[in-house]
Amino acid sequence: MEILPIVYLSYMFVFLYFLIFFLMVYLRNREDLFSFEKLGKHYAVSFVVPAYNEGKTVGEALKAIFDIDYDNIIEVIVVNDASTDNTREVVEKFQKIYPKIKLINNKRNLGNAAGSQNVGLRHAKGELIAVVDADSYPSKDCLRKLVGYFEDPDVGVVTAPVYVRNNNRFLERLQYIEYKTIGFSRRLLDYVDGVYVTPGPLAVYRKTALDEIGGFDEKNLTQDIEATWNLAYHKWKRRMCLATEVTSTAPSNFKAWFSQRRRWLLGGLQCIKKHWKTMFNPKTGMLGMFIVPFFILGTFLGSVGLGVFIYLFSMRAVSSFLYTQYSITAHTPLVTATNFYITPSFLNYLGLILFLFGLVFTLIILIVLKEKILTKQRAFDILFYVFIYNSLYPLILISSIWKLALGKVEW
Amino acid sequence: MMLSSQKHIFWQAFIVTLIVFSLGIIVGVILENWRVSKIDYLYKQSEITLLDIRAQGDMASLMHLDCETAIQENLAFADRIFKEAEVLARYEAAERLTEELELEHKKYDILRAILWSNSIELRKRCKAGFHTIVYIYDYNEPSVDAKAKQGVFSRVLSDLKEEKGGEIVLIPMAGDNGLSSVGLMMNLHNISESELPVILIDEKIKLTDVTTVEEVSKLIK
Repeated sequence: MEILPIVYLSYMFVFLYFLIFFLMVYLRNREDLFSFEKLGKHYAVSFVVPAYNEGKTVGEALKAIFDIDYDNIIEVIVVNDASTDNTREVVEKFQKIYPKIKLINNKRNLGNAAGSQNVGLRHAKGELIAVVDADSYPSKDCLRKLVGYFEDPDVGVVTAPVYVRNNNRFLERLQYIEYKTIGFSRRLLDYVDGVYVTPGPLAVYRKTALDEIGGFDEKNLTQDIEATWNLAYHKWKRRMCLATEVTSTAPSNFKAWFSQRRRWLLGGLQCIKKHWKTMFNPKTGMLGMFIVPFFILGTFLGSVGLGVFIYLFSMRAVSSFLYTQYSITAHTPLVTATNFYITPSFLNYLGLILFLFGLVFTLIILIVLKEKILTKQRAFDILFYVFIYNSLYPLILISSIWKLALGKVEW
Repeated sequence: MMLSSQKHIFWQAFIVTLIVFSLGIIVGVILENWRVSKIDYLYKQSEITLLDIRAQGDMASLMHLDCETAIQENLAFADRIFKEAEVLARYEAAERLTEELELEHKKYDILRAILWSNSIELRKRCKAGFHTIVYIYDYNEPSVDAKAKQGVFSRVLSDLKEEKGGEIVLIPMAGDNGLSSVGLMMNLHNISESELPVILIDEKIKLTDVTTVEEVSKLIK
């Protein structure tokens, strides 16, 4: 057998494995997906909201926080990272309505959310620290459903699914589906102690756990992923609750979306660089045995896939160029009916079946999350999401590796 | 930490994947074998036809029978294996797991070599008016350039065949399949593997550069 079919088959095997893995976890726990730990002790909660040029959204985010049904929110610390818009004025206006708001204005822009989060962390007095992005809106019941997990003294952080708030434009609608699948999959990973990120829009940390890991890594572009890995390294449990949610504003245009994804990928690469030594070390628990290998495998497959794609694409381009040249010399048509007469190979069929499996899994997720799937627009969005959107990952990977190679790792 | 019942899910999923994947591979092998058996069936029919033509040729030389029938049957056979070659090429392009079709290809190349010698013989014996156009290509590891050139050669020759119909016997065959019969014919006409693809017209004119249908037509005249 040639090398390319072996590469294809390896990819298909890995893809199939994770699909079956998630499906099995789902089938085993389908009755329990929306369960949560009963609220026991009403821990004192400090909110930390880093904000940089979030004048348009921070007000509503604060309103959402104060709408939360929980009786022991002791403070909401907004860290204004030297915004150049009206963030400061908006927060000051809200301070008059909600006296629990504490506004900290950084003298200079720290250039990353982690820095502001650490500033907030140093000032926070609560036993639990709820980190919320200034463009995110936690649901009313979030603390009642998340705080109960901390009855287990080993739990260091609890998170909720992030859903997209704006879903009118095409790109937003695709992200809407994506965030649903991410949230659901993360809940499935919770059953195997595999939660690898507690995202910025809403994560509730035990303060002692955050103190143990030294707060957020300010050099990392995805401080939320790094903090989660660090907590795992220090044997803290990371939990995920699907019974509540936080909504966030997703990028509306391709440029913003692309740079956000590139930041995620670069942050992931930074995490791998920092924690790769834990790989397959049983002493590091799920971090070394699952999370780090999972990320490395994803990056490796993405890179190799990209290499194969570039090779095939360039060969095809050279071949088409030569073929065109010869066709012109021979006065033969470039395209004839026979070009459209294709005999699919076994790999074509297998690839199609795997895509269909992926489609079915996405549909299961949306149905379980009570999403409508039968409208024309949604059906198109789902198909586009499964067949096209997910295939854009290698493009972001190229750009991320390029940036990393140039040393341009910045927000 | 995770429940003990959940931690087994990693290897359980692996086993299930292995089973599902193996089933997929088996189905793939069955699909490719089905295509091989289809080609093999076509090959056997062609082989019978060729043997029949050869037998008929032998009888004709013994009994001085009419050449016309032999010529027509030779042409019809050439057309037939040309069409079968197209099916074989499509299946080969889609073959990923097995290498059975390579053997079928070799068998067909032998048939084509026999067809070639039969055509030469007919032309001599019956003073037949058809032309033989043998297209010898690089089968195993053609370079990108050779592949592109072969694509255009195939098209030119298909167009030529469409234009000339029964005037030509078109015989495409692989020149690097290690077959002694094909090798012998190539040696006889000074064709080396390094210069493939080559078009040989009436065993006299050798073309290695891309040319138009009109130019090849002129050479035939």
